[in-house]
Amino acid sequence: MDKKGSDVTVSVFFCRQLDPNQDVTRRALEKELGKRIRFFPLPCSGRIDALHLLRALEAGADKVYVVTCPEGACHYREGNIRAKKRIAYAQSLIEEIGIERGRLELVVTSAGKRLTIDELTRELLGRDDKGAKA
Amino acid sequence: MITGERKPISEIKEMIAPYRKVLVVGCGSCVAECAAGGEKEVGLLSSALRMDAKAAGQEREVREMTLDRQCVYEFIDQLTDVVGQYDIVLSLACGAGVQAVAEVFPNINIVPALNTTFLGETKEAGLWLENCRGCGDCKLGFFAAVCPITRCAKGLFNGPCGGSRTDCCEVDSEVPCAWQLIVSRLEATGRLDLLRKVHPPADWSKQQGRGPRKIIREDQRT
Repeated sequence: MDKKGSDVTVSVFFCRQLDPNQDVTRRALEKELGKRIRFFPLPCSGRIDALHLLRALEAGADKVYVVTCPEGACHYREGNIRAKKRIAYAQSLIEEIGIERGRLELVVTSAGKRLTIDELTRELLGRDDKGAKA
Repeated sequence: MITGERKPISEIKEMIAPYRKVLVVGCGSCVAECAAGGEKEVGLLSSALRMDAKAAGQEREVREMTLDRQCVYEFIDQLTDVVGQYDIVLSLACGAGVQAVAEVFPNINIVPALNTTFLGETKEAGLWLENCRGCGDCKLGFFAAVCPITRCAKGLFNGPCGGSRTDCCEVDSEVPCAWQLIVSRLEATGRLDLLRKVHPPADWSKQQGRGPRKIIREDQRT
């Protein structure tokens, strides 16, 4: 991935339980970044499938995040553990075609500080910007 | 159920390398159940192949299609108006499905994307176990529905080898001893007397003795 931080297109799959108000909180960021960002709220991160991740990459995402609840704190028991396994499978598949596995990233939220989905995404984008500038 | 596993992408790429238009065809039966060749797996592989071609600057058209079954003509027929538009068909069916499609379209290139593996059962989500060799001479009735040919590492017909430890096989400590299962189940169902029967060696001529096998049922034929 050669693009600089501000050119990167990002897809964010996330568990709706993380931010019950996500329908509202993500709007400002969507307006701000336009086509650079796409959010995919899931009823639970365990709903994610490797196919969703590959389709997101194929549709042009430079980076795909899957944001889950903290380990041991899944609303539906262990959806976040299943999400982790599915990302690992998709990572191994894209590696087979020469794409860096880091283009798919699991983000396990912290049990302590509860962030809204837009705050969390801004943090991730900020981190990527810093990485691109470094 | 027939199980299979996807071949490495490098092997698949090598087979389709000379061709520009690729039709990826899944099978909605056995290989879908074992998460190797159903609609979802067709999508995954097709996406991967399209991205790979794009990254390599190649022009490649990859179309996805899944039949309910690739081993029955009535379903294969759905490909009739489609296959001619493609340079190669990449089939995610078992070996029987790949060959059935090739029989129907002898002038089309058809290659397998899976390694067909065994006849088995879905033990739990994500776990498939081999439990039938298709020997053509089923004796499950004597063995409490546990096949000693398939599930005993030594294929023993007349009792255990004596090497099992904590009910598991000495060859693989994670595999239950087939003979332990047989005896326990026969005991539970009051049929221990079946153990008195001495079985001659399996008659393998019913499996492979005369080349590929066939079943003919006149009442089913047109």
